[in-house]
Amino acid sequence: MMEQDAFGKCHPAVNFLFFVGAIGFGVLIQHPVYLAAGALCAGIYYMLLHGAQGWKRILQLLPLFVLLTLINPLFNIQGERVLFDVFGRPYTLEALIYGADVAGIFVVMLLWFGCYNRILTGDKFTSLFGNWIPAISLLLVMVFRMVPGLMGKSKQIAAARRSVGKGVGTSTRQKLDAGMAVLSALISWALEGSVVTGDSMRARGYGTAKRTSFQLYRMTVRDGLLLATMMFLGASVIGVAVMGGMGAEFTPRLQIAPVSGWSVLGLAAYCLFLLIPTAMHCKEALQWSISKLKI
Amino acid sequence: MEHFKIENLTFSYPAASDRTVLKNVNLTIQKGEYIVLCGKSGSGKTTLLRHLKTVLTPHGSRTGQVLFHNTPLDRIGSGEQAARIGYVMQNPDDQIVTDKVWHELAFGLECLGCDQQTMRARVAEMACYFGIQDWFHRDVNALSGGQKQLLNLASIMAMQPEVLILDEPTSQLDPIAASDFLNTIRKINTELGTTVIVTEHRLEDIFPYADRVVVMKNGEIIADDAPGTIGKYLYEQKEELFLAMPTPMRVFYSAKGTGTCPLTVREGRKWLNRTVPDELMVRALPEQPVYDVQQKPVLTVKELWFRYEKNGPDILRGVSGQVPAGSLYAIVGGNGAGKSTLLKVLCGLNRPYRGKIKLFGKPLEQYKPEELFRNGVSMLPQDPKSLFVKKTVREELLEMDTDEKRLEQVSEICQITAVLDSHPYDLSGGEQQRAALAKVLLTQPRLLLLDEPTKGMDSFFKETFASVLQKLKQQGITVVMVSHDVEFCAQYADRVSMFFDGQLLSTGTPRQFFGANSFYTTAASRMSRGVFENAVTAGAVAELCRLNLEEQK
Repeated sequence: MMEQDAFGKCHPAVNFLFFVGAIGFGVLIQHPVYLAAGALCAGIYYMLLHGAQGWKRILQLLPLFVLLTLINPLFNIQGERVLFDVFGRPYTLEALIYGADVAGIFVVMLLWFGCYNRILTGDKFTSLFGNWIPAISLLLVMVFRMVPGLMGKSKQIAAARRSVGKGVGTSTRQKLDAGMAVLSALISWALEGSVVTGDSMRARGYGTAKRTSFQLYRMTVRDGLLLATMMFLGASVIGVAVMGGMGAEFTPRLQIAPVSGWSVLGLAAYCLFLLIPTAMHCKEALQWSISKLKI
Repeated sequence: MEHFKIENLTFSYPAASDRTVLKNVNLTIQKGEYIVLCGKSGSGKTTLLRHLKTVLTPHGSRTGQVLFHNTPLDRIGSGEQAARIGYVMQNPDDQIVTDKVWHELAFGLECLGCDQQTMRARVAEMACYFGIQDWFHRDVNALSGGQKQLLNLASIMAMQPEVLILDEPTSQLDPIAASDFLNTIRKINTELGTTVIVTEHRLEDIFPYADRVVVMKNGEIIADDAPGTIGKYLYEQKEELFLAMPTPMRVFYSAKGTGTCPLTVREGRKWLNRTVPDELMVRALPEQPVYDVQQKPVLTVKELWFRYEKNGPDILRGVSGQVPAGSLYAIVGGNGAGKSTLLKVLCGLNRPYRGKIKLFGKPLEQYKPEELFRNGVSMLPQDPKSLFVKKTVREELLEMDTDEKRLEQVSEICQITAVLDSHPYDLSGGEQQRAALAKVLLTQPRLLLLDEPTKGMDSFFKETFASVLQKLKQQGITVVMVSHDVEFCAQYADRVSMFFDGQLLSTGTPRQFFGANSFYTTAASRMSRGVFENAVTAGAVAELCRLNLEEQK
């Protein structure tokens, strides 16, 4: 299991709320300044989590960003300033900017999901929902258990068949047949296994009482404070948005609300919200190096 | 205080109502007892154990009753039964429900609706007692078979049962993991006083500690006694089950020993020193024939190096050796040492990055796949189920070869003619192994590779299996097997090699090989060390005893 960073060690509810906020705001707010802030925060945290490899992955996203940006004006021909014609259709600056914005949102999503996978592992997710929807959470847990097992078994079956000279053909037809044979063997095996699993569940009293759910993670005062802070910051962002501080129209005319006066507060709240994991990560790293210096 | 009382229990399955699986079974189990239930596969052991827990009791017609603390079992609620009667099954993998170790430990408690505080305490307690702390957060898929079975046991013990029922819990484990597991069971019995009812093939490890041994045959209890006396009964009645008894016990009765019967190697040594005279007339048995390696090696390997990944560790580190034609060549060695990998390399599934393999005098890489696996080499995988893809055994065999006559021949050799029309999953473990072997044999191999063929087999199936191998040898087929099963290799192999650190070390006949080892060897060899020179099977020790005692007279 991968070691978790300071934010990853918080209660799953804190992790979950953060990602709901970060990804939700990221998709809904199209304002370029907010997008830039989001990209910066997501990029920093992604690199903190993934180390040296993070750079590479972020650079790999750039071509995607450029491609998505350039494609948009081909489909969206609205806009005032025509740059040139493509296939007899206008290619406009507004559509290009809009494309860049949407592509940016997409890239930021990918970065946040990259962090999400590292922080909110499967067991955290299920433990979070275990209390609310026990049946579905148990189902998920069993699926998490079964899928890797079946993958391993299918490899085992294929290898066993190859070692008696079956399934070594190279034509499409032969490969298809080999695949079907493995699949049918896998199904029988899985069915037989599920009978045993069922017995094992009933033998341990499944269905005899109302299920409770073992909570590996405890909600601490710090988690509570974090939740409250996040909710406050999130509410501020929503407040500013409702008041129109984040409006952004791209086509047919660029109409982007200025970030000044009271609406700066919205941007500040948004940045603070997104920087929570980074701040916690850095604080922990700093604490360690200070305590090392003291030795 | 009685825990269980089984009164006149008779049972038959609905599909075969004329065949009673349990006949008039009467058994009383006291609190805190350690009971070993033994018998051949199909003697009704599992069916009897399943009657001790209502949710697992099979459907069928039944007379008689099972009392738990003097109350009919089915009148006790299933929640209460879940907590008080723990049941561990054979397959370590399929019993696990959830994806994380910690969650599995808590699963039973969650089902019973325990509160958070109790669950935390119990789970922590169990993780410590069973030494699970280090892998508490792991995915269950990352565990070894032994760890999985220990987890199954721990997650049942977390519910604090009074009785622990185990149905062949170690049949899928390697010997070291198995003996660890059985030691844990003994610890639970002696330290916690939990009643233990267990069925096992590996009687060597548990016989000395059992309070009572119950022997079943064709659905009936034929003997129920202390372990020391049960051997005498089985020997006198000429029961086949005598073969499954611990080695010291078999030597004692076969050599017509006097005094109390030894159960452990230590007691066996004491008895042997007392029995045979100090000045021995015969110290060793004649040496076994050595195959002439120079004459006709079927397989020659030179300096094989192999690893799975570019940056991974080397699994094979210079394997060299020769397999003489027509021999049964056994490779023994620890778990995860790379023995199975070696077999995969030998049949061309994995390619070594250095070294040479010569098969029937021709380099392996010059074979085309159809040429290699037709009348060439073939491998029986560790789990026979991975070869089954059809609805009946006959279809399985027809998939390999449509020639009816050969099909008949092979099924006769493998003794599966009676089950040809059954679904492969309905066969017993030993039958599945032989059905898979039949499938492999239909490729008409000249070199047969076997990966842990005796895993999960009881001693009778092992004997049947050995006779099948003998027949194949007579037909000129060479067999290479990798195995943990030193007793089987000592008895039936022609040559034995030790696989260690990616190499084949110390090759010899079983008598040379196991006679020279003092730890990694058979119980018979450990028992007779220092007295006899090369007695590595119970039969050999008994034979030498007899020879010396006769000389004395």
